[in-house]
Amino acid sequence: MHGTPPVLLSEVDALEKIPVLPQIEFRGVTKMYGAVAAVRDLSLTVRRGEFLTILGPSGSGKTTALMLLAGFEAPTAGDILIAGRSLAAVPSYRRDQGIVFQSYALFPHLTVTRNLEFPLEMRGINAAERTTRVRRMLERVHLAEFGGRMPSQLSGGQQQRVALARALIADPPFLLLDEPLGALDRNLREQMQVEMKSLHKEFGITTMCVTHDQEEALTLSDRIVVMRAGRIEQTDTPEALYDRPATCFVANFLGEANILENPGFKVESDATPPSGTVAMIRPERIYVAAGSAPKRADADQRQYVAGTVEDMIYAGPLRKYYVRVGRSVLIVREHVAAGQQIFRSGDEVRLDWLRCDVRFVTA
Amino acid sequence: MKTFQKFGQMPIVLTVPALAILLVVFGIPILLLFLTSINAPDFSAKNYYMFFGQPANVRVLFQTIEVSVVATLICLIVGYPTAYLIVTASKSVRTTLIVLVLVPYLTSGLARTYAWIVILGDRGVINNLLLQLGLIHSPLQLIYNTTAVYLGMVHIMLPVMILPLVSAMMGIDRSLMAAARSMGARPLTAFWRVFFPLSLPGVRSGSLLVFVFCLGFYVTPAALGGLGDAMLSNFIAGQVSSSFNISRIATSAFILLAVAVAVLSMLGLNLMGAQARAAAPARRSWVVRLPILGRLKRYFGEFPNPYRAKLWTTQLYQVGDDSRLSNVFGTVFVLLVMVYLHFPGLIVIVMSFSAGTFLEFPPTGLSLQWYRSFFADPSWNGAAWTSVQIGVAVTILSTIVGTLAAYGLNRTQPRVRGFLTMAILTPVTIPVIVVGIATYLGLVNLGLIGSKTGIVLAHSIGAIGIVVVIVSATLANFDRRLEKAAKSMRAGPLRTFMRVTLPLIRPGIVGGAVFAFLQSFDEFVVTSLVSGYSIRTLPLKMYENLRNQIDPTIAAVSSLLMLVPVLWLIVLYLTWWRSRQRDHHPLPELAA
Repeated sequence: MHGTPPVLLSEVDALEKIPVLPQIEFRGVTKMYGAVAAVRDLSLTVRRGEFLTILGPSGSGKTTALMLLAGFEAPTAGDILIAGRSLAAVPSYRRDQGIVFQSYALFPHLTVTRNLEFPLEMRGINAAERTTRVRRMLERVHLAEFGGRMPSQLSGGQQQRVALARALIADPPFLLLDEPLGALDRNLREQMQVEMKSLHKEFGITTMCVTHDQEEALTLSDRIVVMRAGRIEQTDTPEALYDRPATCFVANFLGEANILENPGFKVESDATPPSGTVAMIRPERIYVAAGSAPKRADADQRQYVAGTVEDMIYAGPLRKYYVRVGRSVLIVREHVAAGQQIFRSGDEVRLDWLRCDVRFVTA
Repeated sequence: MKTFQKFGQMPIVLTVPALAILLVVFGIPILLLFLTSINAPDFSAKNYYMFFGQPANVRVLFQTIEVSVVATLICLIVGYPTAYLIVTASKSVRTTLIVLVLVPYLTSGLARTYAWIVILGDRGVINNLLLQLGLIHSPLQLIYNTTAVYLGMVHIMLPVMILPLVSAMMGIDRSLMAAARSMGARPLTAFWRVFFPLSLPGVRSGSLLVFVFCLGFYVTPAALGGLGDAMLSNFIAGQVSSSFNISRIATSAFILLAVAVAVLSMLGLNLMGAQARAAAPARRSWVVRLPILGRLKRYFGEFPNPYRAKLWTTQLYQVGDDSRLSNVFGTVFVLLVMVYLHFPGLIVIVMSFSAGTFLEFPPTGLSLQWYRSFFADPSWNGAAWTSVQIGVAVTILSTIVGTLAAYGLNRTQPRVRGFLTMAILTPVTIPVIVVGIATYLGLVNLGLIGSKTGIVLAHSIGAIGIVVVIVSATLANFDRRLEKAAKSMRAGPLRTFMRVTLPLIRPGIVGGAVFAFLQSFDEFVVTSLVSGYSIRTLPLKMYENLRNQIDPTIAAVSSLLMLVPVLWLIVLYLTWWRSRQRDHHPLPELAA
């Protein structure tokens, strides 16, 4: 599928039969810390060449899952397989993986070049070959002239790129990312997201990423696994996950959500809501207008409710209204555009949304 | 109020009391001593020729160096694995082990040396046991030889080696080891390529501290060694008491000092190697430009390490789960080290309850007679009372003066700060006998030999250094924006200090006070020189007994002295723990 030469793999006997792009599989993996289960009966598959992100708040067990795959922790029960082979007996230093650590874990006593050489050296690659590969990799991450620097002499973004380069340089069959962009400021993070995306495309490497940052997850991933308290809450593509969250937790964790549980007005919908679910609608699917404004052409597909503006927040390209309707306060998000009527707190308004935009999530 | 505001603008003024005491008691005399040794005003190396002209002198000099080097190496070989095992142990085990290393570190050196006499002596534990078992018929000569000196010295110095090592190792980011392993490094390779190079600063500071302390060793070689095991300290002290020839004494003292400085710079040079590149190249003060001074400065920078290490009994962070203590060898090794550190003390405690007329192990009966004897005998309780009085005076003086100095230094510009800190730390970082000789001279000039005031001053120059180290470390972590915040709320400089700064640095001040007291309470070498035979402190009285071994009361005294650090640790734990409760939020959850 990709042109990565499988040279290195043959040198590591424990995993020599691993294909270039393996599939990673968690089968009923449980990890207990004393009486606490950090990960409970976790089953998931990272497909060949896929970028899969485990997303969850702290304490959800996502880091434990990564540590288990990396071999720094052993599962209490269950098994992890790479290309169908169990990893149980393979120590971390023979798993032939690339890891980008949260704090980068660059060796502070070695130069950038020596840091990059380290994984190659451990695989017994000769000095000439190492030099070539390090030079190529440094060029690839735009750090060609920084090889002689110590990690402490690099900026945060540069350190991040070195960490990524070090993880990729030995052509590992899979890549693990632990909150890879967490330590960067906002602008740099967006820049690095693009860079990582293109690197993933170029190397086509099976990647598992762990983060609590929803934006990071949405932009980078092919699929996202949302975890909560050691269990998988939902697995899907970023778009599907945002558009059709299965639970309240997912709806709230990815973006903002209006959960209409006992809202004080009837929520209309085309289908009968499944039992045990509540209605949810995203703030950007709700429109706000003056109470007297004429209704739209597709009014028969919409639900209209009257409310009172409690607050308005202006946030650059967006304007957010908090509107009291019945017993609940709905968040409405509107893109700022010319000629819009701006409402102030106390104004009477009319909200409307398409009935098909209402989702039902389990509580 | 006005004066305080002026101090606020001229923080360096706060260091004046500390520097004044230091200069009068130690600084000027040591300069005079140096001038004497070079035969001022004629300036010749005559005294040095004379010193090296006598083979006996040269032999003692080389023996001192040899013993110090060997003892340092033994400490390193035993201490490094111990520190490594401590750092990689689980959190609760680690805390326990650090406390177990700290307790002997804080225990009176005399009491610990006494324990070895009890174990190795002709009627000591080992000989008694062997005699009773019928394995030998006459006592073995276990004491008064070089092996006994090494046993005793390593016993005392091991914590000084372990604590900076633990300090350096705790600072190593554990994810680096994980990273190395993820890149295919086997555990041993990861250790040599990543962990070991990063732990070298600890190796360096531990070795330097142990080596310099060893150079100044006095009690242990005298009490455990034979006639041929005298070190330069004993030699110098002997000259003081027999024929007081100031130029010869000054010469010997400066030769010892020169050895210390020379080996310090060599060690600093060799071990720096890889590390030097890693160090941030910027911010080099003028001090560093002179190579020797630069190395010395680094040494002074390392001196605080064991004191920082002490803060961890309460402040430990979580590391990975791979507890190497699960390894059988590791467990056995650590157990052996802990037995070595604690067994002698425990023997003394058991024997102090002996009912016999002389010490024996195991005791034939239990009684409190030696404790009664301690509290009843005026020569014992008088000595203890003198030590407490002096200790309290030293604590008060050095805590106030030292805290002022640390506060002043913290607010001075870095260049001046580095130089002044170096000056203030000198008395605690050079061989103690040199300090003793200089102080002796200083107190003679002040007419304070044989007075309690004199002893208090002599102890204070060291104690101030310790207070400065500990309070400075606390101040370095103090967020100065808090003071600005207080001032923005209309608090004046004095009120800001009293209401904001002082409460936040209190743990450091309490720690400084505790160590100042211990420094004074256990001081022997300097005291013996400046007491003029008229004042007897507890260590002096103990040493006298140690030599003559007549009065088993010393076992009871030693046992009581072993309680002191435990009490102090509790005090420290309570202050530091309470301040932590306030400063920090509960630890984040285990697995994120």
